[in-house]
Amino acid sequence: MRDIAETVLGLLPADVQYGDIRVVHRTHEQVLVELDGPGEVNYDDSLGLGLRVLIDGQWGFAATHRLDARGLDAVVAQAVGQARATGGGGHAVLGEPVTTRDAWSSPMDVDPFTVALSTKLDLLSTTVKEAATAGPLVQQIEASVDFYRDDKVFASTEGAMIEQMLTESGGGLMVNAGDGNDVQRRSFPQGVPRQIRGQRGDFATAGFEHVLSLGLPENAARIGSEAVALLTAPQCPDEITTLVAGSNQLAMVLHECAGHPMEADRALGTEASLAGGTYATPERRGNFRWGTPIVSAYADATIPGALGSFKYDDEGTPAQRTQLVKDGIFIGYMSSREYAGALGGQSTGQARADGWQRLPLVRMTNICLEPGESSLEEMIAGTKRGILVDTNRGFSIDDQRMNFRFQTEIGWEIRDGKVGRMLKNCTYQSDTPTFWGSLDALGGPDEWKVHGVPSCNKGEPLQVAHVGHGTVPGRFQNVQVGR
Amino acid sequence: MSIEQAQVQQALDIFGDGTRLDILGENADLLRYAESEITAQHSERRLRVRVRINRNGRSVAGSLETLEPSAVQDLADRLTAALAELPSGPVQEAAPAADHSAPTPVIPASESVLESDPAVRHRWFATVRAGLDPSAKLGGAIRYEVLDRVVADSAGLFRAETLTKASIQAIAKQDGKSASVRLMHRDADQIPVEEIPGRLREALRPLPVAEAHHGTCPVLLKPQAANALIATYGYAVLGANAYATGRSAVSGRLGEKVASELITLVDDGCDPDGLPSGFDAEGNVRRRTPLISNGVLTGVVSDRRRAGLTGGVPTGHAVPDGWRFGGDPVPSHLLLEAGESTDDELLAGVGSGLVVNRLDYLRVLHPKETLVTGTTRDATYWAEDGKLVGWHPQVRFTFRMDDVMNAVLGVGSVRERCDQTFMESVVVPSLLIDAGPLVLP
Repeated sequence: MRDIAETVLGLLPADVQYGDIRVVHRTHEQVLVELDGPGEVNYDDSLGLGLRVLIDGQWGFAATHRLDARGLDAVVAQAVGQARATGGGGHAVLGEPVTTRDAWSSPMDVDPFTVALSTKLDLLSTTVKEAATAGPLVQQIEASVDFYRDDKVFASTEGAMIEQMLTESGGGLMVNAGDGNDVQRRSFPQGVPRQIRGQRGDFATAGFEHVLSLGLPENAARIGSEAVALLTAPQCPDEITTLVAGSNQLAMVLHECAGHPMEADRALGTEASLAGGTYATPERRGNFRWGTPIVSAYADATIPGALGSFKYDDEGTPAQRTQLVKDGIFIGYMSSREYAGALGGQSTGQARADGWQRLPLVRMTNICLEPGESSLEEMIAGTKRGILVDTNRGFSIDDQRMNFRFQTEIGWEIRDGKVGRMLKNCTYQSDTPTFWGSLDALGGPDEWKVHGVPSCNKGEPLQVAHVGHGTVPGRFQNVQVGR
Repeated sequence: MSIEQAQVQQALDIFGDGTRLDILGENADLLRYAESEITAQHSERRLRVRVRINRNGRSVAGSLETLEPSAVQDLADRLTAALAELPSGPVQEAAPAADHSAPTPVIPASESVLESDPAVRHRWFATVRAGLDPSAKLGGAIRYEVLDRVVADSAGLFRAETLTKASIQAIAKQDGKSASVRLMHRDADQIPVEEIPGRLREALRPLPVAEAHHGTCPVLLKPQAANALIATYGYAVLGANAYATGRSAVSGRLGEKVASELITLVDDGCDPDGLPSGFDAEGNVRRRTPLISNGVLTGVVSDRRRAGLTGGVPTGHAVPDGWRFGGDPVPSHLLLEAGESTDDELLAGVGSGLVVNRLDYLRVLHPKETLVTGTTRDATYWAEDGKLVGWHPQVRFTFRMDDVMNAVLGVGSVRERCDQTFMESVVVPSLLIDAGPLVLP
């Protein structure tokens, strides 16, 4: 792979101001067991390269799976042809050159690709059997594990040569129960808001030990029982009340309210035709009240084991921590070299591409809340009337990342400081600054946990990123809830 | 990028009995722009070989990016080893075999896309930008793609087609307002690029900002907005597996009224009004499938596993292995029959109400209840006495799609073609929705 990168750089014509190449070999293994099924195995293997060139200020990008001499010649011609077709006049500014030469592999205890298939099947079969003990109203069970490995080389005309190998592991359980009139879903450890097979649950940049730590079999019977119980649970009432959100529920809220809006390409308008723009415009940086003073948020790609962690991004910039919100005020962006240049700064190391065939975009890494001083137990005990919600079921947010509606898989009444009846179809609706401006308590460091999500979508063509969210439970006042 | 039949047969021989290959050769070229400037240009070439082996009640799958024999052999060895470890079970044994005798529909490829040239995309961009007011900012993308598809199996099935597609999205922003147009066709020469600036200018009409309306009112969903509704409804409701397992809102209701009498909906992968393709990921020929006829549920779409619901013959709606939107059959080429109402007649029917050009981020909250939530986006107007009188602030709608489908008062006479990330094409006219199911909070 390193030889291929060096060969391609040697083929670039003299008018290329800057060029970088990524050669990526991605492997993916999925094992999935369903109710009444024998199990399924899927092995994916993808090897190719993506070449990016800058000529007279204009970008050209080409990608190919063909790594023979003809394929390499063709990919150079395509990238250069694209850049030249614009006729120059661009003004991309990349900032300080990146000349790093390094090699790095993400740490793990047990290489998941060496674990016997029978071990994985046994784990998942046991999980499904436990979930099925909830009875005949259980209609669908899916337990799965997924493992990814990206072996990649980044090289540039500035002299960078970086080899990284990232290994990611995750697993989860989904149970659907139905009684003919209603269908209810429970997921563990966290929900996936779509019908995709596998790739559900909690993921980490780690080995098989992460999957074992999830406790899938130990929690399966409870998850199955909750899915069945939801069928006869009362509807979440329509009211304005106190909302206590669990840590994994807040992960996706943070993702949508702080993650995407604070990606610099959105702020500069280049995503306007796709997912949209952002309320977090450059003139608001440093003065926009995003939330109450107890909330601070940051992006951090250096958290060991978190799904959005790495050593260098896909432009060779070192992983780092970037403060986004400090004491309730929006203060920072995630950026790549080009977008940092447009904003007058240096890259914060968030240029990431989905495999070899896509152009690096500004992508969130691990978006985290700084923990507070409360606890879930204290928040509930201090609430006279409200609801407790957990596990994301679905959501929608507007194109400026302001107005949103989230639905959770499960909820419970809170009455006089105690958790009461289970509620189904709980949703809550608000807008970003109002919601985070109603926050009055955050869980403490003991409750801080990183949730890994392998399904963040962005861009055209669509790219899927693996991201993490470090969150704690939180309490919000005067929130519109309902079904 | 052509896919040679001999190479495919060689791979099938290596994988052995019970193998199906679903092969895609992708050639895509893209020009993106924002704030009226070009921001990115891509050329992507990719070969994706998806393999599924069903043997003795066991099923395994895999993918790779080459048909080179040594790489194929490596994957075959891994899959064979996995098959040996899996317990046996009732995997697809009851499914009918692919119908090899059905001829593959011929979808003509367009030379205008095959001869992709960056200069053409630059001219399109320049045409749209030049046709807008200088103060308007243009964003969007122009994409050309050529897809070589092959589905073949070890029992002798071989189907191949080359699909071409060109698309342009243009979003114009001006004075805090926005309007959008999205056009696509298998033949780039059929896209009326020169009409786009006029449509955008008209949509950016200089009306005052109206006060936000609260409560319910008639709503006119223009084709882009109706597209999101019909596609999401079809995806959530009209697949055979969702129907058979009771997860669909219309489960058990074949022959019953499920929508307004004005609604007639079919899925037809070969209708040139959509973006045709001849066969699905299992190699089943796509068949015209009436879904709703004058409001009555007449069918669902199926793959081989669920062909029993569609007369024992799959309708051609198997999805690819590993598809991001699930493993169940879902509609791929929806066409809603046009009505007789002109735009003026539909607007007159609105009286005092909302006109929505685009529904964005429409997401299913409860599939069985067809409950969804989403927002308006781009040009949204308030009408009084059948005339547009102002721009309406963005609205979040949370509603039951089946209620809306039952409240259709009028159907436009002009249809537009579009796509969705989870559907190849959707062809719909404007829909006038009665007051009631859509509530402005």
